[in-house]
Amino acid sequence: MIALSCHGIGKSYGHFQVLHDINLTIVEGECFALFGPNGAGKTTLLKILATLQRPSTGYYEMLGMHGLKDKDAIRADLIFLAHGTHLYDELNAKENLAFALALRGQRPTDRDMKRALDRVAIGAFVDMKIRHYSAGMKKRLALAKAMLAKPKILLLDEPFTALDTAGTDILREYVRERLSENGTVLLSTHDQDKTRPIVSRAGILRHGALQEVSVEALKSDDLF
Amino acid sequence: MTIHRVIRKVQRFQGWFGGGGALCLGVGLYLGLIGSPPDYYQGEVVRIMYIHVPLAHTSLVAYTVLAIGSLWYLWKRDPIVDNMCQAVAALSAVFTSLALGTGMIWGKPTWDTWWTWDARLTSFMVLLLILIGYLMLRTFVDDHEKEARYGAILAIIGFVDLPIIHFSVEWWRTLHQPQSISMRGVSISSGLLVPLVFMSVGMSLLFSYMLMIRTQLLYLDRLLHAKKGRILSQFHLSKSDL
Amino acid sequence: MTSFNVIRWIVWKDFVTELRSRETISSMVFFALIVILIFSFSFSMDQQAAREVIAGIMWVAFAFTGIIGLGKSFSTELQNDCLEALQMVPEAKGAIYLGKVAANFAFMFVVEILLFPMFVILFNLEVVEEISLLLLIFFLATLGLSAIGTLFSALTVQIRAREVMLPILLLPLVVPVMIAAVEATKGALNGDPLAMYEQWLKLLAVYDVVFTVVSFWLFEFVMDT
Repeated sequence: MIALSCHGIGKSYGHFQVLHDINLTIVEGECFALFGPNGAGKTTLLKILATLQRPSTGYYEMLGMHGLKDKDAIRADLIFLAHGTHLYDELNAKENLAFALALRGQRPTDRDMKRALDRVAIGAFVDMKIRHYSAGMKKRLALAKAMLAKPKILLLDEPFTALDTAGTDILREYVRERLSENGTVLLSTHDQDKTRPIVSRAGILRHGALQEVSVEALKSDDLF
Repeated sequence: MTIHRVIRKVQRFQGWFGGGGALCLGVGLYLGLIGSPPDYYQGEVVRIMYIHVPLAHTSLVAYTVLAIGSLWYLWKRDPIVDNMCQAVAALSAVFTSLALGTGMIWGKPTWDTWWTWDARLTSFMVLLLILIGYLMLRTFVDDHEKEARYGAILAIIGFVDLPIIHFSVEWWRTLHQPQSISMRGVSISSGLLVPLVFMSVGMSLLFSYMLMIRTQLLYLDRLLHAKKGRILSQFHLSKSDL
Repeated sequence: MTSFNVIRWIVWKDFVTELRSRETISSMVFFALIVILIFSFSFSMDQQAAREVIAGIMWVAFAFTGIIGLGKSFSTELQNDCLEALQMVPEAKGAIYLGKVAANFAFMFVVEILLFPMFVILFNLEVVEEISLLLLIFFLATLGLSAIGTLFSALTVQIRAREVMLPILLLPLVVPVMIAAVEATKGALNGDPLAMYEQWLKLLAVYDVVFTVVSFWLFEFVMDT
């Protein structure tokens, strides 16, 4: 089944056109990687798909729902791990998880939260305020939130930044798990080496236009 | 899309609005300044009323149009409705300032003061502040769609607030300045009414005419920007292929 | 039921954050103290004069501190882009609005309760009999300020020059609240019979209802994308 289809999505700020007629179809169980140099419009495209921005032209459908009309329904099936981690500095790890999931209408048990925190290997810092976390730990906590939410669609914006090798492995393992459960993952990155083992398809975004490339092409280093 | 067709139809009569407005204002000014007798109490001073009252009416009508347009925008999200709102807001600010200014000029000879905390003057000042806030707000938003949406929200809140502001100021004023001076001093006789009607109709037509032109201008400006963006990005794309 | 949970969690989150950081309430209280100090220098007051202007000073101080609290209410959501998470809540956004209004109202009300004794002491007021009426006035006026202020806090936080735009947009719109609160407070402090300023309480109540409903509805469009 088609998880995501974009139809001519464009976005402009004033007379600066960030995205240009994006057409893209992803089926369930696929992991699509968006490559591109800085300023190519990767984050903008992800934000549009995460219902956080409205495209200037075109529309998209996600799991059969219209991206501009059924936003709330889409939001229930979607987790977006953005550049900002969506965590509150004054709350500790468990409180952050409980709050974020409560807003989605979910009530994780204490045991589930503990398990998710152990899985991202920050179980030892549960009672610490997020304020004192390092960037990588925050990223791991955000990942734990995604693990508990079990979304059908996972959008990842530069997921590997700030993560160490162990964190990268945890993330990749989680992505594989989502894919095996027929979830869909769309991620933006500029790190081919870390991405290659998990992607099924890839595309390059350049000056706001998307061009699909074969995964094999990722091995050559001169993409950009 | 139907709205575009309606606008195009109305726009065909644009010249009639402008011409009719000029005619009404000409007749009204002649009758008001030359053809009508001076007021029994206020003398020649009363003639500023023929400017002031139509301006005040028109600015209230303009704000109502802004509120309706804003509701409409939130409902349909049609950019051309927002172009109209933006045009109305700027015009409305101009008309409101002029109404305030002429009111002050009228106040000097009749009440012997430029400013008094009269309920109407005060409400108009708050209205002007809201409109200036609206125009400022619009310049501080980066995204066109967001700009339109936030403007609409402010306009609707302000529209709901205006009657409450007017009432509260009126109550407050009656507490502090027990009816020493009142706007209601002028009783309208028919000799005064005819030029007033001409001026009011003329001012509304003038306002509509300016509104149409300004809306058209903003609409074309938006198309131009979109086109410029497309051309620029094509240019960048072709350059990056080299 | 989910909406009610969202309200509860938002209030809980704001309270816990405030208890741990103590940023909002402490900055509001100290700002208000400074405002009071400046005012008492600019009017040299005997008790008779104080009675005339004290209500005005009080509400100017409350409104300004309220704006500080309202501004912080949503600017704290900007850290780590938490606002995005709120926008992505798959529920109607009205629940977030109500939660935020409740939290903002509570903060402002607490600050007012803390500050009021200062006014009483510094300006030698006699208020003992009217205290419940004053509390009612504080309650209604603060509700009005937070109902409309929360909407504009959420709106201005997403634009440039937000610290300036919040008061610029908010203050003209709360003119009725300020007039009514000052007049009613003045009446209560003077010990006037209730009938003399009852109309202001009614006006405040109407304002509260109207703007809670309208803002609740418009909040959907503020958080919309």
